[in-house]
Amino acid sequence: MAIVAAVVAALFHFVPGLPTYYVRVIDTVLIYLLLAIGLNMVVGYAGLLDLGFVAFYAIGAYSYAILASGQFGIHLPFGLILIIGGALAGVAGVLLGIPVLRLRGDYLAIVTLGFGEIVRLLMNNLVWMTNGPQGISRIDQPFLFGFALKTPRDFFLLLLPLVLVALMLAWRLECSILGLGWAAIREDQDAARGIGINTTLVKLLAFGLSATLGGFAGVIFAGFQRFVDPVSFGFWESLTIVLIIVIGGVGNLVGVVVGAAVLIIVPELLREYSEYRMLLYGCALVVMILVRPGGIVGRRYNPAWIIQKLGWR
Amino acid sequence: MTLRFEGLTKRFGSLVAIDAVDLTFEPGKITSIIGPNGAGKSTLINMCAGSYKVTDGRILLDGVELQRLKKHQIAGHGVARTYQNIRLFDGMTVQQNLEVCLFSSYFGRTFAEVFVPGMSRRLKSERAALCRDALARFGLARFADALAADLSYGNQKLLEIARATMLEPKVLMLDEPAAGLNHGETDCLKETLRSLVPADRVVIIVEHDMSLVMTLSDHIFVLHQGRLLFEGTPAQVQANLAVQEAYLGSPGDVDDIRDAARSRANRVRLRADADIERRGLASV
Repeated sequence: MAIVAAVVAALFHFVPGLPTYYVRVIDTVLIYLLLAIGLNMVVGYAGLLDLGFVAFYAIGAYSYAILASGQFGIHLPFGLILIIGGALAGVAGVLLGIPVLRLRGDYLAIVTLGFGEIVRLLMNNLVWMTNGPQGISRIDQPFLFGFALKTPRDFFLLLLPLVLVALMLAWRLECSILGLGWAAIREDQDAARGIGINTTLVKLLAFGLSATLGGFAGVIFAGFQRFVDPVSFGFWESLTIVLIIVIGGVGNLVGVVVGAAVLIIVPELLREYSEYRMLLYGCALVVMILVRPGGIVGRRYNPAWIIQKLGWR
Repeated sequence: MTLRFEGLTKRFGSLVAIDAVDLTFEPGKITSIIGPNGAGKSTLINMCAGSYKVTDGRILLDGVELQRLKKHQIAGHGVARTYQNIRLFDGMTVQQNLEVCLFSSYFGRTFAEVFVPGMSRRLKSERAALCRDALARFGLARFADALAADLSYGNQKLLEIARATMLEPKVLMLDEPAAGLNHGETDCLKETLRSLVPADRVVIIVEHDMSLVMTLSDHIFVLHQGRLLFEGTPAQVQANLAVQEAYLGSPGDVDDIRDAARSRANRVRLRADADIERRGLASV
């Protein structure tokens, strides 16, 4: 306990002192981490490959952009929109979940991919609402509990606790009976039904909860950038989040954290070679599949292992 | 409490797999369903468990018409089964395979489990205690933390039965529990199965191993081409000529039936071994 507290305290103390550029990169890592924790519930826990996750991120982001800007002259507070955006995304997640309940594997991936594209195209073409390809700019500066969230530093102080709470809740979910039910569906859906699991309900919960987290991340992203446009929510964005999970370690929260750090920081370091980014992604993926198909972090090294190593039970 | 099939019929297109069968299963007894390949034995189990839709007829358990329910609801009414080819949750540990069976009784407390401090640990140890008994009874305690996929074939079969009993079922259906087991393992299985028949449980076994069927069963249904050919005690079945004809096409003695059944069981084992090998390669 003391070690964890010390690490967290060090992060809080040390990171805001870094140059703004570094804090900005760390903020990006944390936003993607939030997204990956959400997507991991569907892909890692329940074994449902969702390639359209960015849609929920977009819904969250546009919620803030529309409800707190000059677009319609609506200026709701950031905290309220965080709830609204999360809820909207969650509902969208369930709505996506209903038609794809019967699908698995490749078919599911294709349909969710289509869903992501549909949402992006809507953002592009519902010009009266979203301003189309021009995007929405001059979004309100977010305030939370009377504090202005202005600099990357401020956002770091919001994001870090949020991510820690999300990690803890995700881990508790994974260990809960619902997490076991998800795992059973992942392993053998028919057998899961045979032991009395209502797979419809349990899958929709996975879609809904993960989408809600995506929505939160979107709202924060919009507040952070203070500008949204459809380009930010393309297929590559979905793919990046999936890659974070796959390269880090599917279904393993430690892997998700490592994956988010690696996949955001490494491209940032290789900024000069950014035209090769996709090539590098591709090579990295092939190497991973050949060398460590389970991801960078082995299954054994999950949060339970960390908790045990810290002698903290 | 009884389980009754009334005029139960299953058609696959023009093929009639089960043709208006009426069966009654008594609790506290082991009832076996035997018959040559394609007789419709597994089809009966699949209908009862809700894996297949019933074409016609009714399945009655305590006055509840099971054929109207969804698969998970049928399980909720106390119908549990094992599968002809083992279907465990491979990527989960042995303990988790059993623990997840408590899903329906703990699902309502998920919110508390996630959000209330200390609740997670409490519910978890409560469930572990419930699993411990089943682990011990099936001799799987020392494998509790192993992945189900890593167990030997025999232990996987045992785990599947253990998983089914975790639901405290009123109806326990075992689809070829002895297929692919050697003699020693089969004897072991017999002992275990005997202990699984409390007075209020219907136990149904579909099996080709005649020595197991004849020593274990209280009552036997013989199916042939989707119809009930004969029913009676093991002795009556062994003495019946029609049954022998159904198996062999011509009158023969029971030893022939046993041989025929055993060679099939061996084939099943080979198939299962090949399966495991394939899976092993795929996971590398």
